[in-house]
Amino acid sequence: MLDSRISRRSLLAGAVGTSALLTLPRPAFPAVKKGTSLKLWILKTYVEPTNKAIEASAQRWAQKNGASVTVEYFTFEDMQTKYVAAIESNSTPDIGQLETSAPARFAGMGQLIDLTTFARQIEGQVGKAPASVTAVTKVGDKVYSLPWYVMGAFWYVWRDVFEKAKVKMPTTFEEARQAAAALNRPKDNFYGMGQSWNRTSDGYGVMQSLMYSHGVGWAGKDGKYKSIKTPAMQNVMKWATDIYKDGVQPADTLTWTGSGNNENFIAKNIAQTSNGPSITFALENALAKATDAKDRKAKEEALANHVALPHPAGPDGRRMWAIAMSFGIFKTSKDPEAAMSLIAHLLSPEETVTVMKDSYGQFGPVLDKARAASKDYFNKNENYRTFGRAAEWFAPTGWPGPTTAAAAEVQASNVLTDAPAKVIVDKWSVDQAIEWEDKKIKEIYDTLRG
Amino acid sequence: MTTKALTLAGLALFLLVILVPFWWIASMSFKTYEQIQFATSIYVPNPFTWENYTGLWTETRFPLWLRNSLVTALVVTATTTVVASLGGYAVARLRFPGRESVASLILILYLIPPALLFIPLYRVLAELGATNHLSALFLSYPTFTVPFCTWLLIGFFKALPDELEEAALIDGAGRVTAFWRVLLPLAAPGLVASAIFAFTLSWNEFLYALVFIQDEQAITVPVGLNLLIYGDVFHWGQLMAASVITTIPVVALYVFIHRWMVEGLVAGSVKG
Amino acid sequence: MALPHTVGIPAVRARASLWRRARTRETTTALLFLLPLFVLVVALIVYPVYRAVWLSLTDKLVGYPERFVGLRNYAYLAQDDTFHAVIRNSAVFTVGSVGLKVVTGVLMALVLNNVIRGRNFFRGLFLLPWITSTVIIALTWRWMFDAFPGRGFFNSVLLDAGLLRRPIAFMATPEGAMMAVIVANWWRGFPFFGVSFLAGLASIPRELYEAASVDGASAWRRFWHITLPGLKHVMIVTTLLSFILTINDFNIVYVMTRGGPGTATQVFATYSYQVAFGQLRWGRGVTICLFVVPILVLGIVMISRYLLRDRK
Repeated sequence: MLDSRISRRSLLAGAVGTSALLTLPRPAFPAVKKGTSLKLWILKTYVEPTNKAIEASAQRWAQKNGASVTVEYFTFEDMQTKYVAAIESNSTPDIGQLETSAPARFAGMGQLIDLTTFARQIEGQVGKAPASVTAVTKVGDKVYSLPWYVMGAFWYVWRDVFEKAKVKMPTTFEEARQAAAALNRPKDNFYGMGQSWNRTSDGYGVMQSLMYSHGVGWAGKDGKYKSIKTPAMQNVMKWATDIYKDGVQPADTLTWTGSGNNENFIAKNIAQTSNGPSITFALENALAKATDAKDRKAKEEALANHVALPHPAGPDGRRMWAIAMSFGIFKTSKDPEAAMSLIAHLLSPEETVTVMKDSYGQFGPVLDKARAASKDYFNKNENYRTFGRAAEWFAPTGWPGPTTAAAAEVQASNVLTDAPAKVIVDKWSVDQAIEWEDKKIKEIYDTLRG
Repeated sequence: MTTKALTLAGLALFLLVILVPFWWIASMSFKTYEQIQFATSIYVPNPFTWENYTGLWTETRFPLWLRNSLVTALVVTATTTVVASLGGYAVARLRFPGRESVASLILILYLIPPALLFIPLYRVLAELGATNHLSALFLSYPTFTVPFCTWLLIGFFKALPDELEEAALIDGAGRVTAFWRVLLPLAAPGLVASAIFAFTLSWNEFLYALVFIQDEQAITVPVGLNLLIYGDVFHWGQLMAASVITTIPVVALYVFIHRWMVEGLVAGSVKG
Repeated sequence: MALPHTVGIPAVRARASLWRRARTRETTTALLFLLPLFVLVVALIVYPVYRAVWLSLTDKLVGYPERFVGLRNYAYLAQDDTFHAVIRNSAVFTVGSVGLKVVTGVLMALVLNNVIRGRNFFRGLFLLPWITSTVIIALTWRWMFDAFPGRGFFNSVLLDAGLLRRPIAFMATPEGAMMAVIVANWWRGFPFFGVSFLAGLASIPRELYEAASVDGASAWRRFWHITLPGLKHVMIVTTLLSFILTINDFNIVYVMTRGGPGTATQVFATYSYQVAFGQLRWGRGVTICLFVVPILVLGIVMISRYLLRDRK
């Protein structure tokens, strides 16, 4: 028995080894040269324990391989600037964590190494991600980054408020709008919804979820510009502006920063809002810091009463804009093989689960092996189960096409949120706003290169 | 209303306008996150807490940012004072063809907006390999401190009597000695004012520091404050504590020398 | 200049050559003294400006080599409605806050001028906003105007005083947001005006006031006919300086509103930053700022002429 097992294993090993030799000039993971030093750029999120956990994971690899890793951080705010600056001054890191549109952008500039073969190789070890997510990592047939997790957006509601008013929890955007009207109590400074069209992901992210769920995309499946002057887009814009016209939101909603909706939701000024898991994190944290029994009770109630629903669906389905984070290797790296080894380590199910345990659910792992391994963690409660499903609903920027540099620029140009703002603030008509938005998008596609 | 009553009223009004925002920052800095979030104890924090200050020191890189800002401001102040006093002296005292044009040119230079320069300057600094370090700031900050301080010093030097220098020159001293031994000591208030200006402008600067430096080790306070806003959570309390800490040294410094500073400031613009 | 006194033509020629030699020596010294300034200016201001102009004629996109495209960026901006809004906003922001600063500066100077005891103390105290970091000031005023219940100063006071039932979202409308950034800029800047004007007041001869009082002139007439003209010089200089600084301002708008809501407070500097670092279009980003330079240069040249005329 033992012999046959061993011989089967050695057969498999031989097969794997041979195929590896056939696809790469060198074996996939050579012993990492001792003393190799890598620079790793990671997204710093509001959940500090996660940041530390990722760093610890990288250091474990470093220890195991006698190498060293320097971890540097960027935030949602300076993500663009930092990479832009590095590219222009040729000081890119070895490995960079890339957000949704970055692989396409940077690959288009010739900054990233082709990881197609590497991706195939480690599939056995780390598993596969859903097609919607891998679309982000590819340009054409070539893979330029390895996906790790998505930070999804969820529809937060206060259960007790809904139950008291006997309103059903919304599953679609239309239901959400109706619920907002039903729950609105401006006299008590309580509002039915808090959706800001600001220049953060709370704004342009939800706008994209809204559009994609209505089947509206500014690019076709081929990634080329497609006009948004359609009846479906009319409905999108109406929804986006009606929630302001109907007075179901606090007066300053449009000027919120990224934290505006969090704060208003936690303070129970609004009944519904879209957000990443950070609201749950904030409530869990608040409970941990409770000062006395009365305070503790209030915090426990808040935690129990808040629900993170799956992001609303539209007439065309449930598509959730999210930030897909993946790892890419820059061409300036002096030791790409060591970089690959580090990535494989970070992406492995064991390491992913370890990191996730400190993530307060903000991490939605996309590789199926990691998802399987983390099932228990996400089974904590209903909210966490929803968090864990993020990858199912993911729609990339530029849906239904791939995330091209042009699609990324559309998001970065703020045109998606400036358009409804023009209706709300400058009193344009919905048609005018759509016309303007369409023109701006077309301009971007017409004048972009690469 | 008597003049006295009007004056007192005016004084009170200005005091209010100027001090209330400071008090608001300070007050917020002593509140917990929950107090701010749930709007309890608005005007006077109760309970009073130091956790934002300690958190700032232990959880963030604030001490590092302070150090970077300080180093940058000192280096830039030093270079600026040297370059500006030399240049200012030349324009104020020496006669050479095109002197008035140079004076106008210096003023014009101050007007070149950093917002215009930041992109090409970025590329120049990248070519010099200075980006991502504080040296990028050592090189770029003088582009706005030097023109301003030179202009200021021109006015200041011009206002100083030139008899002492003349006397020194007649006695056979060279221009350099006249500058060094005679004028500079006289010009102390102007130099101090110029140095404080350079320091303040450096300390305050945001755009260049934001764009030229990504290395976490080289971040300055304004950029760091911007970083205290990550993702969905805005650490208001810590931000305000940082604001208080950042403002105190400048204010303390300023208390000692504000008389000189005002003299210098005013000499430039009033006496022309 | 103390030159030896001689008579006759040879003496004149001698004097002239002495003078010329002295002049040359001075010019050389001047050049030496000006050298560091010159090097700094050429390397880090003139050269980048030249490159900025060049960049504005290309389609430079981050990560790609630039291509010459002539005046395409300028043409684009000329018909870009966002850029039109930027020009409008910058004008409103600058004129509004500078105007307010001038008026407040005069008031502050008048008040302080009447304070005998502790004048230096108050003058120093009032300069506090001017020395505080603008990033901090922007955050502070953002908070002052905040509509989040209990956090915004104005809303808290008005709500507690019963004058409001619901918080006002000051910064949610274009007008409100513009007002907010103007207020922040004004608060920061008026002490500079006040202190300069205060010094200016000191240089107005007392005899003028005394004579006017004797003639029976009212306080208002004394102000209008003596004080204001006396302050004219310092007013123009300070206003000019502030105008330039304000039209180039990045920090206050960026930190307070990021140019929003929509494009209501987008000014030259913030729009340039968004286009260059958000959309990665450096060619166009630089062009946005180049639009400002001619106006500035014109303004400066005019003022310098004024200053020089006065000096003589």
